[in-house]
Amino acid sequence: MMTPRRVAITGLGLVSPYGGDLADFFTRLTAGESAIRYLSTDDPPRPLSMPFAGCPGFDPDAALGTPLASMMDRFAQLGVAGAFAAWDHAGLPRAAAGESRDGWGVCWGTALGGTLAYEKGYRDLWLKGRDRLSPLTVLLGMNNAANAHISIQLGLGGVSMSHTVACASSAIAIGEAFRRVRSGEAPVMLTGGSDVPQAYGVARAWGAMRVMAPGDAETATTACRPFAADRRGLVLGEGGAALVLEDWDHAAARGARVHGEIIGYGTNSDHSHLVRPNVDGQIRALRATLDDAGLTTADVDYVSAHGTATAEGDAAEIAAIRAVFGERAGRLPVSATKSMHGHLLGAAGAIEAIATVLALRERVIPPTANLGPDTLDPACGGVDHVYTGRPGVRLRTALSNSFAFGGSNAVLAFRATAH
Amino acid sequence: MKSIELVRNFLAARQGIEAARIVPEARLADLGVESLMMLELIFECEDKLGIKLPEDLRTPKTVGEMVDLMDGLLASQNG
Repeated sequence: MMTPRRVAITGLGLVSPYGGDLADFFTRLTAGESAIRYLSTDDPPRPLSMPFAGCPGFDPDAALGTPLASMMDRFAQLGVAGAFAAWDHAGLPRAAAGESRDGWGVCWGTALGGTLAYEKGYRDLWLKGRDRLSPLTVLLGMNNAANAHISIQLGLGGVSMSHTVACASSAIAIGEAFRRVRSGEAPVMLTGGSDVPQAYGVARAWGAMRVMAPGDAETATTACRPFAADRRGLVLGEGGAALVLEDWDHAAARGARVHGEIIGYGTNSDHSHLVRPNVDGQIRALRATLDDAGLTTADVDYVSAHGTATAEGDAAEIAAIRAVFGERAGRLPVSATKSMHGHLLGAAGAIEAIATVLALRERVIPPTANLGPDTLDPACGGVDHVYTGRPGVRLRTALSNSFAFGGSNAVLAFRATAH
Repeated sequence: MKSIELVRNFLAARQGIEAARIVPEARLADLGVESLMMLELIFECEDKLGIKLPEDLRTPKTVGEMVDLMDGLLASQNG
């Protein structure tokens, strides 16, 4: 068996609900600024309105060019744009030149895939009475569209996989990509996720589960309140987020800047219930990740929580953290950035991984917005909640949690490079 | 809409090709119309012109052949 390789993170890229670049994303995040707005459409036959973290400024034609953009559903557009940003950030040329990319690959997360394409098909068939659909419908809608386009555009000849694991999709994609680099199978992997949950049928389906936070134009920015006693649920969002994972020696040989290191990954199943969070399953996932990374609980300086702001989920997650970290939990900084950028479903794990890597690099912990000591739910107590951005802290190692409907858990471990 | 205008509009939107290049003798393959895009173009023609192209269509090779095909169908199916 090959000696495990160190895995550098050499590129980060996203299309975030904040609308700007990577620096803009992290500045706003650490300032506690919400990207959540009130979405109100007048689409027939029924309008859709809800708090939502959208990317209204995203111009797929400008980002990708019309010929390419027109071959994609919005989830793939956001994903490929995020992937291109990460690739450029890593200093890798779009076109392969010299070194073969036959072993380089993509692991991509999406919970929903091209639901807008399928919904357009349903509208055309059932609402407009048409009897045929665009020949592109399957290619726009398929779940592996984003990773397929990424592989084609960047000439990556290794694995090209999509991971559909609900809210843990891109955390698992990152973890699986990490394993391929660590094992020596691939020198470079592009990984991340993208999702677009505002198809009418999808949004209404989420609404039917009664896990969506209510809100209006006045209150949308504070609608998502993880760990607060008055939390009312999650706020959906759209976006694409990507990381370039690279064999440490490969990165060093080409003089790449290393933004952080991914050092561990644990994933498992609660094997108990489709939606009820299971503390034991989360504990096992956290411990598996610590073991995989060779860490003790004393090594962890920050946990980026899954923290969707559902009644049961938040309390279960904090209970799991308390159980794993014991008496140290009270001094362990924890925050949930979904309070600001919303729940990006298949992109959630990736955008939170980016936030965690930037936190380690910049030594600033982003907060949980809309939370304070006076509003904290006692059932979510016992950890060091980060109420406002916390700069200048000792940050060497951090975990990022993703816990999905279906009972799949994934935890990623990251380490800062030497400052 | 005339058939040639439809082809021009489609290729301008999808491929950014200027209208002057889309002349009857131009080969569709040279304009980037490969098999998948041909399906799209056929769909667009059926949609915008209200015609139905036969399943056993002999795939046109040039813009002129495409336009002649559509014009013929327009005359026969709407006539």
